[in-house]
Amino acid sequence: MTWHVIEDLIVPKCSGKTLRVNKGQVFRVMEHEGKQVLDLTFLNAHNFNEHFAAEYSAMLNSIQGIGGYYRLSKLYSKPPYEHVMLTVVDDKVGDGARGGERAGHFMMCHCSKRLVQHMGAPPDTRTCSDNFADAFREIGLTQEDTYDQTIFNVWMQSWLTEDGAMNFAPPLAEKGEYIDFLAEMDVIAICSVCPDGSSPCNDFEAKALRMQILESDEGTHSETTP
Amino acid sequence: MSQQLNIEFVIPKCTGKAFKVEQGQLLRVIQHEGKQVAGLIFLNAHNFKEQFMAEFSGGLSFFHPDHLGSHYRAGVLYSKVPYERAMLTVTDNPVGDHFLGPHCTKTMMDIWQAPGHRSCSDNFSDALSEFGLELKDIYSPSVFNAFANVYIDAKGDGSVNIAPPRSTQGDYIEFRAEMDVLAVVSVCPDDISPMNDHTLKAIKIQIFDG
Repeated sequence: MTWHVIEDLIVPKCSGKTLRVNKGQVFRVMEHEGKQVLDLTFLNAHNFNEHFAAEYSAMLNSIQGIGGYYRLSKLYSKPPYEHVMLTVVDDKVGDGARGGERAGHFMMCHCSKRLVQHMGAPPDTRTCSDNFADAFREIGLTQEDTYDQTIFNVWMQSWLTEDGAMNFAPPLAEKGEYIDFLAEMDVIAICSVCPDGSSPCNDFEAKALRMQILESDEGTHSETTP
Repeated sequence: MSQQLNIEFVIPKCTGKAFKVEQGQLLRVIQHEGKQVAGLIFLNAHNFKEQFMAEFSGGLSFFHPDHLGSHYRAGVLYSKVPYERAMLTVTDNPVGDHFLGPHCTKTMMDIWQAPGHRSCSDNFSDALSEFGLELKDIYSPSVFNAFANVYIDAKGDGSVNIAPPRSTQGDYIEFRAEMDVLAVVSVCPDDISPMNDHTLKAIKIQIFDG
């Protein structure tokens, strides 16, 4: 099976974006400059009430021995749906961090107005909440409408210590490294290119990310009729 | 203390219950028999879209300038974006074992090879239905799992470790409502994992006027 890039775009730093990924297509997130986090969630393209649940996926992956809070193999939707929405099919950074001292990704909440306020940032600091609000607007939703604030923080190297403290280090992913998600249903990817330029989260500089959609020569298997 | 007991009741094992707590009242969740987890969801009583965000509350408590807590000991329970308001404050927490994370579900029981086994999803669904709500109206499956002795590995994949609760009969956690809230409680029916020490028990609730 050969894979072809059918969409290839650079998503600017500090911005939000939605992308439709059909069943059978691969959604690739790539470091454009390196050490930049993507905050990522997914909606069922045909039912916006069904969305990805990050922490819940960490739990389900953990009890199957296929991941946890720092790496996922299967991305599940929230109850009562509980479908596998996407499968991680290539994740060299997450696999490389496996069993080590470092975290590949982080299944937890995104930064918000209140969070950066607690961290001492000026009140007008842009956060992932702003990016997500912009992205949701593209599909006619607001942050009141839906979604779980725990999301897939791609390449975010954060971890909890035994006493529940939260630590941060710069991402391990360098320019050109990527993670591939195979869509198991038609989904909308909701993306925030994390705008934090003042912490180790993005190595103290907000940068752009590259995204691609790949299709195999066997075609896609969209649930919708053309 | 000047608080007056307003109401107390026992929520039977393997069931859910929803009830209102007014701003300023104190809510105590009490070990009726011991070693039993209670999953807690909170909604703004006047706007059900404003929902408690469990994991986010751990982060907000931890990063607060006054360091109000951590992931395993949240000091303040906040609502999700775009609201981000303090819904409840933890006012007494002698045990301290709680887990801000997912409740058990149908799929978890399937994975544990106990298909059809009752889960917190069923309890929450029953409790929510009394207020015209469904499980799909709850945005996040991450809840305040009171008395859960659950930890995330600091290393590796970040896997989840479930151990028996350390709390015994009479132990409690107390919250002060900072707004009128709808509390939705699931007395966790999981006897498959060590979550409830493999025996299912009841939970006692007390509400005090502040």
